[in-house]
Amino acid sequence: MQQAGGGSETEVTWEDQQNINKFGRLNNRYHELEDEIRIAKEANENFEDASNELILTDEEVVRFQIGEVFAHVPKDEVEMRIEQMTETTTKHLEKLKDEKDAVVAQMADLKKVLYAKFKDSINLEED
Amino acid sequence: MATSSSPPQSDTEVVAERRGIPAASFVKDVQAYLDQLGLDVNSTLAFQQERLQQYKIVEMKLLAQQRDLQAKIPDIEKCLDVVATLQAKKGTDEALLTDFEVSEGIYSRARIENADSVCLWLGANVMLEYSCEEATSLLQKNLENAKASLEVLVADLQFLRDQVTITQVTIARVYNWDVHQRRVRQASSSQD
Repeated sequence: MQQAGGGSETEVTWEDQQNINKFGRLNNRYHELEDEIRIAKEANENFEDASNELILTDEEVVRFQIGEVFAHVPKDEVEMRIEQMTETTTKHLEKLKDEKDAVVAQMADLKKVLYAKFKDSINLEED
Repeated sequence: MATSSSPPQSDTEVVAERRGIPAASFVKDVQAYLDQLGLDVNSTLAFQQERLQQYKIVEMKLLAQQRDLQAKIPDIEKCLDVVATLQAKKGTDEALLTDFEVSEGIYSRARIENADSVCLWLGANVMLEYSCEEATSLLQKNLENAKASLEVLVADLQFLRDQVTITQVTIARVYNWDVHQRRVRQASSSQD
């Protein structure tokens, strides 16, 4: 059934289709993760800027944003809050990076399998 | 709405539809598929393209819903933060001083003393007063519901994107098959 060259008669099995579907899902997830990682990094940078500003200021009470309002919070509490938020975000960032590595590895594996079967008939590169 | 109680998707099981979205049928053999449909190649391609358009429309709708939920969740978390802060201040004897926005760029100062209750905006111009504990549990429940809805939505989107991929692959295969058939016909007619 398979034609040599051209590849226009290559059989597509249900397993191949599932691999292609999985690759599509992983690719989508990869882009979502990139966005989430970027946002988490920006948040961490903001926290760092904030804590630097905190060190420079000589006021005892800082207006700290909680929800939509700015509450008057003593400097020490603000420092503690920023530390907590930084820790949470850093852990979240680590988790995202690990997931991204796993996704990239799976995509590389699938690429090998699919290119082996379909060679030129399939394009799995980012445009 | 959805009439089928779709079993959890496994790798080997084929789901006929999911929450109103019909599954794209996988084509094992193009010739058999065309015979089964009883249509010629162009009509088949048109049918598949139309299916693809319908999937895209549903995808837009789901993406919009996802964006809404993704905006709602941080909002609820902020509210929980505020209620928690009010509760923490209740223990001490100090009042909470906050600067809040009256209008764009204009802020005013508020002094909140011993917050026993908070008012929660429930939507549709309705605001209810709750004790801090009740407010926390209501907000927590809303947060969990939102996160659960988001999970289901993401799974729906994944299913939908799979169907889109299957349809695109089917279109490509039918088209290629047609090209191949034409080549074979040309080759055999030039041999005669």
